[in-house]
Amino acid sequence: VNVLIIVFTEMRDKLRKWREDNHRNSEQIVDVGEELINEHASKLGDDIWIIYEQVMIAALDCSRDDLAWTCLQELKKQFPGSQRVKRLAGMRLEALEKYEDASKQYDSILQDDPTNTAARKRKISILKAQGKSAEAIRELNEYLEQFVGDQEAWHELSELYINEHDYGKAAFCLEELMMTNPHNHLYCEQYAEVKYTQGGLENLELSRKYFAQALKLNNGNMRALFGLYMSASHIAASPKVNATVKKANVKYAAWATNQINRAYQVTKTNQLPVEELLLRSS
Amino acid sequence: MGEVELSCLAYVKMYLHGCLFPRCSVNGLLLSSSPAGGTVCVTDCVPLLHSHLPLAPITQLALTQVDVWCAQTQQRIVGYYQANACVSDNSPTPCALKIADKIAEQCNNAVLLMIDGGKMSPDYRVPPIVMYERKDTRWTLKDKHTIMLRQWEETREIASQLLDSGDHSLLVDFDSHLDDITRDWTNQKLNAKIAELSSPANGNV
Repeated sequence: VNVLIIVFTEMRDKLRKWREDNHRNSEQIVDVGEELINEHASKLGDDIWIIYEQVMIAALDCSRDDLAWTCLQELKKQFPGSQRVKRLAGMRLEALEKYEDASKQYDSILQDDPTNTAARKRKISILKAQGKSAEAIRELNEYLEQFVGDQEAWHELSELYINEHDYGKAAFCLEELMMTNPHNHLYCEQYAEVKYTQGGLENLELSRKYFAQALKLNNGNMRALFGLYMSASHIAASPKVNATVKKANVKYAAWATNQINRAYQVTKTNQLPVEELLLRSS
Repeated sequence: MGEVELSCLAYVKMYLHGCLFPRCSVNGLLLSSSPAGGTVCVTDCVPLLHSHLPLAPITQLALTQVDVWCAQTQQRIVGYYQANACVSDNSPTPCALKIADKIAEQCNNAVLLMIDGGKMSPDYRVPPIVMYERKDTRWTLKDKHTIMLRQWEETREIASQLLDSGDHSLLVDFDSHLDDITRDWTNQKLNAKIAELSSPANGNV
């Protein structure tokens, strides 16, 4: 019996950790959550409601409408008239590709509560799912005018712009994110990638600076390390730079090469001659 | 134009790549260990990205690394595949065309393969793929009859088995490799599993 209790608490704690980390490991959540709900519901206390919500969303992700429906019914019973549950019902409609019905659901939430950000963002998700990128971008821009601090929305917008090859605007979004999250190495690195993609000497130099910044924040970021190598190499090879700049960038590239070689020596898996590949890509 | 043969190994890994990242657009390179000329035999593939497909640095890096590996292993890059996140639209994106163009510079029979996400249900009967070839400067749809997948039923079965057993999570794409460089983007482990599941009579692997 002790073993069962340990197993139960482990499962419950796993779900909590995934919730807190906002993990989208839906298959695992369904596996663990379904068992928890079916076998241990009585032990969960009030936690059960948030677990129903978590499992429902994961179930939608895995096309488990049966499980999603069960969770939704429990939540509807417990919280009649709740906006939060209404939103979940809307998500289920989205999963079933009933976009018009889902949209109506979110509109009814917004009628009662025009500041409901979740409903607004779901409506934008519908546009994205339907491939209506231009509209999604427009709506998301309008949303951000009102809710300028919504990091998730800024990042979503940067992704939409990247897919539309609108790198200037993607860069702008990432600049917002870097300003409010100066210690986030991923934003620096993504910004650097966008600058590199835009091309031209000025952008390459910016990209090199931000790859370097990303490395400063996290020296394990391999994308940033490779990015530093590539941007520095391209700058050094450019006919437009003076001898000083060239020399500096040759140094950066050499440093990066060294770091890359060291990193790969430790792994011993891909027996690629990294020197050769580095020579090739310059 | 010419005939294209797609091996079990290449198809299964491509398919699993799409399954591993169902919410993302994914892409990869198609390789051949056969000499140039005649039928294009796609014998293997390297899964590349599942994020930020249009951005240049990692794509360039991956292309270079795969190029080097191919030179060492007597393979050539003969094509490119992509599966779009939005399953209702399986047409090649600008970045797909760009990369395919680059490959075509070195390989004039290059193929561009789009995976049709909408047709990837468990009971699909035909390979959910659409192929393009380069005619003049444009990528045009290939005649379905010039595309061959030997032992299709067996191939499909192998892909299903790996999905069911959860072994598709063994697949490493270049993105995942950069997250953890101890992971092998040439997928030797998964290749061995696929070889195990293929019958000895299957000459593709």
